[in-house]
Amino acid sequence: MIPILSVRDLTVSLKRASGTVPVLERLSFELDRGRTIALVGESGCGKSMTALAIMGLLPDGFALEKGSILLDGEDVTKVPPARLRALRGNAMSMIFQEPMTALNPVFTVGDQICEALRLHQGLGRQAAMERALAMLKAVQIPAAEQRLHAYPHALSGGMRQRVMIAMALACRPKLLIADEPTTALDVTVQAQVFDLLKELQEEMGTAIVLITHDLGAVADITDTVAVLYAGRCVEHGPTLEVMEAPRHPYTRGLMACSPHLRLGAAAAGVPEPLQEIPGLVPPLGQRPPSCAFAPRCARATDKCSAQDQPPLAAISPDHEVSCWHPEERAVA
Amino acid sequence: MSASLPTTQTGAPQGVASPAGTALRLFLSNPIGLGGLIILVVLVFAALAGPQLYGVDSLDIVGMPFQPPGDDPILGTDYLGRDILAGLLQGGRASLAVGFTSALITVVIGVAFGSLAGFFGGAADTLLMKITEFFQTLPTLLFAMVLVTLFGQHLVVTTIAIGIVSWPPTARLARAEFLRLRGLEFVKAARASGAAPAYLIWRVILPNAAPPIVVSATLAVGTAILFEGALSFLGLGDPNVMSWGLMLGQNRAYALDAWWTVMFPGAAIFLAVLGTSLVGDAFNDAINPRLRKR
Repeated sequence: MIPILSVRDLTVSLKRASGTVPVLERLSFELDRGRTIALVGESGCGKSMTALAIMGLLPDGFALEKGSILLDGEDVTKVPPARLRALRGNAMSMIFQEPMTALNPVFTVGDQICEALRLHQGLGRQAAMERALAMLKAVQIPAAEQRLHAYPHALSGGMRQRVMIAMALACRPKLLIADEPTTALDVTVQAQVFDLLKELQEEMGTAIVLITHDLGAVADITDTVAVLYAGRCVEHGPTLEVMEAPRHPYTRGLMACSPHLRLGAAAAGVPEPLQEIPGLVPPLGQRPPSCAFAPRCARATDKCSAQDQPPLAAISPDHEVSCWHPEERAVA
Repeated sequence: MSASLPTTQTGAPQGVASPAGTALRLFLSNPIGLGGLIILVVLVFAALAGPQLYGVDSLDIVGMPFQPPGDDPILGTDYLGRDILAGLLQGGRASLAVGFTSALITVVIGVAFGSLAGFFGGAADTLLMKITEFFQTLPTLLFAMVLVTLFGQHLVVTTIAIGIVSWPPTARLARAEFLRLRGLEFVKAARASGAAPAYLIWRVILPNAAPPIVVSATLAVGTAILFEGALSFLGLGDPNVMSWGLMLGQNRAYALDAWWTVMFPGAAIFLAVLGTSLVGDAFNDAINPRLRKR
């Protein structure tokens, strides 16, 4: 079975007057039908850029240098614009971070859900409205019949994000990219939205790329996780394995920064004080070929800054890490 | 959520305020806008139905020249002995038609240039804005006079000429709106759901850019009526079609001796421009919540 999404050697750079600056370097991952991958990392690590590259929506100035993105076997980096538009919203769709501004203020919710259906599936107005209503019910919006005719300003943030999910899933896409879908929402609503995504995924078999800072959600609903640092994948593997036994110092640092994730033995006893990773992600253009995390890393040695960052190396069948001095496997 | 949701199952948009509906309600509750609208409605009605009701041709000589306002021709006669009231009624047709049509031309050209420039940016923006600046640097009245002189003193020529010299500010306005809106999240979201550029421009961005454009179009009607008056005043109007501007232009030499020959068409132009300005301002207040007093 070919994977729904296969990203190979994805390299994206920013064209500046002074030359090209790499933004994403040799990123690779695969995602099967009905599975979820989490992209985690600090802001500025290239998570959203990966999402936009997959959708073919890189902002002006950013260019795909090399690599391929296969959506169900079709390389979306090489298809003509018209084919790409036919795929967007139909075979792959995206949920944005800001539900407050991601809906068009001058059209009703129903009209907006209908757009993709009419555009991609050629449904008539009546049929599209019926599907839109079914979608609003599927995303558990109360009084869906009335909401269908509501304008976005009349809905709360959580409701709007549900509407966004309904729009994104209306055409039953093979791939859904959720770019920090809950960042702008209340904590209780965040959990509801993640539960909803999981539920709809089970029903539709959609593969999900989840970009989030919420490691609790990562542990909860994703199957694999890719940790990005400064545009490079530093660790990649099954979610439970990566989270229970992070091998890259950066991954370990991220886990330690999370106040609510306590698994296994860590759950018992007095909680340790909340950790932080000293320093910042190096800005674009100041990322050496050697390990970009070395200046912030407690385990760094001369080797780390003298030699190029090592390629991802398998340390178990599915678990890869890119580090000269990976952490030892934690003793369970 | 709200406990008092409408309970109808018919799906009728009951109790749901659309942005346009809210703006209309605000507009109608504003006495200034309502006053302007009443002025315009009266003028349009007078121009459309007046000539038939009054039954006097505006180009016919009905009596002695320079008869003062009184009982027979109620508003007097002009320098050729033509009925002033008939002129006002019939001239209103031409003046208002020129006003609305030129405003429409202004908006169509302006939005076409502004939306394409603002949406695509880059080289398209530079090229389209250079063309806009070229038109904007030409003195409008002079340019319109050249066009009318070149293509003939005909009402259609006047209308098109006014539209051609007036569109650059609308183009700049539309461009600014498109620049602002194209980066917003909902436009990105529409792009991500497969919308083509034409669809994004026409169905996604334009409805959101419409409010300021509608306001400027309303104000453009008044400006165009004034413009037509100015051209006719300078003797460049269509001599075969009665208009308020033509009445002003032809009688201007006698303004000091027979005030009524220019006073009434001048007042008609004043009222029409006042009406459109009031409506435009009220539109603006209704559409733009930040400018509202409360």
